[in-house]
Amino acid sequence: MSSANTTTSDQDALLRAGIDRSLRHPVMFFLTSGAAWLAVSIVLGILASAKVHSPEFLAGCSWLTYGRVFPAHINALIYGWGFQAAFGVLIWMMARLSRKECTAAGMILAAGHIWNLGVSLGLVGILAGFGTGMPWMEFPAFAWPVLLFSYIAILVWSFIQFRVRPAGHVYISQWYFLAAMIWFPWIYITANTLLHCLPGHPVMANGINAWFKSGVIFLFFTPVALGTAYYLAPKVTGQPVHSYSLARVGFWSLALIAPWAGMQKLLGAPIPYFLPYVGAAATVLLFVPLITAALNILRTSMSSPETLAASPSLRFMIAGITGLVVLVVAGVVLNLPGSTLPLTQFSMSGYGFEILAIYGFFSFVMFGAVYFIVPRVTRREWLSRRLMKIHFLFSVYGILTVALIALFGGLQQGIGQEDWQQPWQSAATRAYPYAVATTIAWCFILFSNIFFFLHLALMWLRLGRRSSHPTLLVAAHDHHSASPHGEEGDIDNAGPGHMPAH
Amino acid sequence: MSLRLFILGLSASFGVAWLCVVIVPYLKMRDLAPIVLDEAKDGKTGIFYPKRTGRIADGAKVYAENGCYLCHTQVVRPTYAGNDLYRPDWGGLKSDPDRGDTRRETNPYDFFGEKFAQVGVSRMGPDLSNLGRRVESIYAVGGDPAQWLFAHLYNPRAEPARYSSTCPSYRFLFETRRVKGNPSQAALPFHSPEGTELVPSSDAKALVSYLLSLKKDQPVPAVLNFSPPKNNG
Repeated sequence: MSSANTTTSDQDALLRAGIDRSLRHPVMFFLTSGAAWLAVSIVLGILASAKVHSPEFLAGCSWLTYGRVFPAHINALIYGWGFQAAFGVLIWMMARLSRKECTAAGMILAAGHIWNLGVSLGLVGILAGFGTGMPWMEFPAFAWPVLLFSYIAILVWSFIQFRVRPAGHVYISQWYFLAAMIWFPWIYITANTLLHCLPGHPVMANGINAWFKSGVIFLFFTPVALGTAYYLAPKVTGQPVHSYSLARVGFWSLALIAPWAGMQKLLGAPIPYFLPYVGAAATVLLFVPLITAALNILRTSMSSPETLAASPSLRFMIAGITGLVVLVVAGVVLNLPGSTLPLTQFSMSGYGFEILAIYGFFSFVMFGAVYFIVPRVTRREWLSRRLMKIHFLFSVYGILTVALIALFGGLQQGIGQEDWQQPWQSAATRAYPYAVATTIAWCFILFSNIFFFLHLALMWLRLGRRSSHPTLLVAAHDHHSASPHGEEGDIDNAGPGHMPAH
Repeated sequence: MSLRLFILGLSASFGVAWLCVVIVPYLKMRDLAPIVLDEAKDGKTGIFYPKRTGRIADGAKVYAENGCYLCHTQVVRPTYAGNDLYRPDWGGLKSDPDRGDTRRETNPYDFFGEKFAQVGVSRMGPDLSNLGRRVESIYAVGGDPAQWLFAHLYNPRAEPARYSSTCPSYRFLFETRRVKGNPSQAALPFHSPEGTELVPSSDAKALVSYLLSLKKDQPVPAVLNFSPPKNNG
């Protein structure tokens, strides 16, 4: 190794360590409080789901009625966990990709606290009976300007970093992140202004709400997760992205198709006829950009099978991308206006689809990123391989159950609903076993995420292992290894003073 | 690609869809023109102005705050989009004593007085477009429709035929109070301690008033009437 190379790589290591240090607290704050909200949301989800099949469970208390617990569950999942996980991952990856230290960590932390305050007050508002009754926008009206303001205060720095970065190549992940950063406020301002401030026709208001829900999934969570996966796959395997032109096709076709999706939920409602059909067509067509991205990422990851077996980041990320494949297939199967859409429009498959998107796809990719980022920003290694495995297995089994319910339970229930010659009870009876299964699935997911939260909290306290060997999922092949976690693989976070790799 | 070109591309791809499916339809629907009745087809002149009475705004608020929209829809889809119209009591009544078959699909004038149409998320329970009509003509025949709804909200599983209902109980919308003078007419037929009575709160009254206003089966002008002539036998 020439001395010039060593200097460059030392400078690189210094820069990376500087970036990691500058973002340690904002990133850990978002990830840890996100994980805590995830646990809260799952507890609320279990309560809500249990009430679907056992309506007398905790009945009679206004704060715990199904109609308030369920919106609290879904809003905590989206704004408490989803957005905060996205913030944590996005600010770190944007800083690393722009090669710029963060100079506004205090500001981001303050804004993060405001975000959490907004979410907490919004949830209390929903449970106390001040919800707005608009799905995914149930927080009382005071909350949205607060969330919007803190969103901008958190992410504007990543945008500035991108502007002042040393000139050079713009990586795929940066396209997705920049796009998500721009799309979300556009959708959020549109939906909230039109629904809260400029009352229009009530049915069209509902249509805009349906468009907003679809936008949050496909124009925020999806690009954030895809950008993250495009970062992790080559980084962990050490292989280049399989195809750059596929990536370009995937990105721009998502940008072209996703904004049209969403209003298929109003098929048959009195809004202009083309809107539900355009929505259904766009949701089905999303198959193209998403399968393109998924295959590209999978091909990149498969290029290194031994890393795939060992790396927790890669395993979670691959599970998330598999979730994406299931999601887009379900998107096609559930949204055909002539056959399946009337069955699934008002069945539990809608909820299953959303959970599949937020948990089965987005959250798994975020977990992968968390397992990658946290050792770097805390400069400690994960404590236990077993905790990671528990997290992975229980989450996968839980979400598989939810996905099967989405596909089969929703269709079964829909067939019952459409069978007009039978009394209505028969549709409700068909839904019953799937409701029970959902409750059980959420219990699995809760179990896995309690361990995840504890593991993460210990890492923030810097109680992780002091080692330069990452915690991998498989035991070391090397019998001379002193660490039970294996010697293979070197990490780039050992800091500027570390010994050069042998 | 420069950042400027990138943002331009994003704005164009997003903006076109944004204008076409959100902004323009929103503005057009906002200024929905009233329907002028045609004397030859509708039998009268003037404009179509469906009447709706009750505490609509208050009741819709209670409906939204307690999440009724999660399990109940308020849309009767046309036959191309589902089988809602075939159910005997969803889009109207199959055999209304006065008007025959009154079933029809939901139209944009049905949500008069509401800020947000509660089209609904799922159908764990039945559609409520015509709940008011159903309660008056089927569930509470000979009784007081409002009292029937109060009792149903207090305990949806009280009637033996509804033992398997999974609707939550809204007991918290009712209050137990001491009887002063004559017992209240609105007291519920459920057990309450001696000397007290169980009465609906203001929220429960608003909600029931709103639910009874759900009668989306009025005759519609010819331009909105997509049903073939019905055989009212």
